[in-house]
Amino acid sequence: MNTGIGLRNSAIYKAYDRYKKLVIAVLLIIFLFVLGQITVSNFFTFPQVLLTIKLASLIALFGLCQMVVIAAGGSGLDLSVGYAATMTAVFTAKIMDGKNENLWLAIVVAVAIGIGVGTLNGVLTSFFKLPPLVITLAMANILQGVINVYTAGKNITGRPSPVLRVIAAQSTGICPNILFLLAIVGAIVMIVLSKTKLGLMLFGVGSNETAAYLSGVNVKIVRFTAFVFSGVLASLIGLLLIGNMGIAFKDMGSNYVMPSIAAVVVGGVSLNGGEGNYLGVILGAIFLQTLTNLLVALGWGDAGKWVGFGTVLFILLIVYVSNRRGR
Amino acid sequence: MSKTGMAPGNSSLRKLVSKPEFSILLIFAVMFAITAVLQKNFFEIKSIVRNINAFAPLILMTMGQALVILAGGIDLSAGTALSLLTCVLTTVMKKGEPVTGIYALLAAFAVAVLIGVINGIGIGYLRIPPVIVTFATSYIWLGAGLFLRPTPGGETVGWFASFYNIGAVSGVPEFIKSFGAVIPPALILVLIGCAFWFVVSKTKTGRYIYAVGGNNDSAYASGINTARVQMRACIMNSVFIFLTALFFVGQNQSGDARMGDPLTLRAIAAAVVGGIALSGGRGNVYFALVGALILSFVNKIIFFANIPNAYQTLVSGVIVIVAIAASVAYTLYNKRAMLKENR
Repeated sequence: MNTGIGLRNSAIYKAYDRYKKLVIAVLLIIFLFVLGQITVSNFFTFPQVLLTIKLASLIALFGLCQMVVIAAGGSGLDLSVGYAATMTAVFTAKIMDGKNENLWLAIVVAVAIGIGVGTLNGVLTSFFKLPPLVITLAMANILQGVINVYTAGKNITGRPSPVLRVIAAQSTGICPNILFLLAIVGAIVMIVLSKTKLGLMLFGVGSNETAAYLSGVNVKIVRFTAFVFSGVLASLIGLLLIGNMGIAFKDMGSNYVMPSIAAVVVGGVSLNGGEGNYLGVILGAIFLQTLTNLLVALGWGDAGKWVGFGTVLFILLIVYVSNRRGR
Repeated sequence: MSKTGMAPGNSSLRKLVSKPEFSILLIFAVMFAITAVLQKNFFEIKSIVRNINAFAPLILMTMGQALVILAGGIDLSAGTALSLLTCVLTTVMKKGEPVTGIYALLAAFAVAVLIGVINGIGIGYLRIPPVIVTFATSYIWLGAGLFLRPTPGGETVGWFASFYNIGAVSGVPEFIKSFGAVIPPALILVLIGCAFWFVVSKTKTGRYIYAVGGNNDSAYASGINTARVQMRACIMNSVFIFLTALFFVGQNQSGDARMGDPLTLRAIAAAVVGGIALSGGRGNVYFALVGALILSFVNKIIFFANIPNAYQTLVSGVIVIVAIAASVAYTLYNKRAMLKENR
């Protein structure tokens, strides 16, 4: 008994306990790569790993939207990120028209779209207390509808500005440029969440609403802000999407919604709110992208991908979220 | 709903108006009247049959969804489950071999029950938040559907059309055909659904659903096997989805792994409009049916307003948000009004 407590208090155990889920995520990724190397030739090579991380970075960025909303608690999730990004891409394609000098206007439009979407989501969920998943799903429908109306009867014209192409699609040497962006965003997020009042407020609201309220934090405003942040970030990712693809099309962002949520769960972030480790989300995104690559390499395509994502999410929900022992 | 603490001075009219059922029926009557005015031959048998065919899927899906919500869950996978069932049906059936239709029915029913069981395990036994677990499973159903049917299509046996239009099936006696022209199969499917719930609501399970949805912990403490009740609600939801799938395959003669997606959200919205509280335990499945009718009539009215096709998704999304926000706001307002009167 005594030794057990001693072990539990030791620094190594604490570190293990804290990073347990990250370790699990890393092990899962390695497992997939080994599995891929056995079943598919040339799966575990350096360029392949870099490509996987590059493709995963967009999922990881969308995952940041989800992580912030989830961390704010109140069973928050944002299903509208995909169409918010698509909407930005579709609307700014014409504005940018392949010129760098129009990028600023495009960013302004993107931020405006993000604030609009996020404000609606935030007001309806945190002030009217409506269930976030249903509201953001309906919001996704609305945005999809707006895109349908905008593109009805005409093609989406315009190309991204060259700067976006450089950031999102090209590489410096062997390292894709988007990884630098992800590293910068990741560093900022981790510092802000762990070292500033902002992060403390976010996690405080998420982990114990009442305690946060009693300590003078405006719970509603914090949750509202989380949704606005998610909307703006998703909208800006839309610029990266069009930079990556070179063109905009109607459903370009919708396939990222499910992976972004799954990445958060794989990364070990509790869906009950109050915590968030962005490194875990990035690892989760890499895991999901590796899984996609493996399933595509095995020839199982789209169907296999969705079954795989759904099953992984389901199993990890059982492992991390299940509440059996509550009674 | 609640009769407690009403001051004796209140007129009975005011009591009636403050009931949510009253406002639901009132909205229904208004929507019904507007549609009846806009649609020229609304009361002709042909257009009544056409309307029933158009409304039946949402009604069935809403009743199933209402059951899960009442039991304290929610099913975001209902739409993709529906798609998967249409894929199963059209994969098992072979054109020209009538007996494969029966195999298809059995296979699809087994899959439907399995879907309910898996959702039920997640919601009931593992106690994962329903929203997120059904979100996860919805992708499993989607992937499975795409596995069976990467592109819409498939074949059906001839008699399967009888789930949509008995007149289209050859070799059926004339009197059944004329009966089917007046009482369409869609209506029969809805009535089967209603009868099913009528029977279940008279059993213990029916009452336990309300208890579990209202307060899971107290239900558990009073000895109810809450997990089993929630699992049963999920399986019953699957039965409703199964009935909807029969109708769709009868109508379209094909399966499609993505056709059901829009129905998920519309069914949830319809249930909320019909007075089912998203927090669970409060509401009435028959009024959820009325909610589905209200949303269907609204859709009809939008159709008559000559809004271009491109606006359809946009408008339905707006309606869902407005409907949910309005019903929740209405409930809050009523609660506050009641508190004031009680003071």
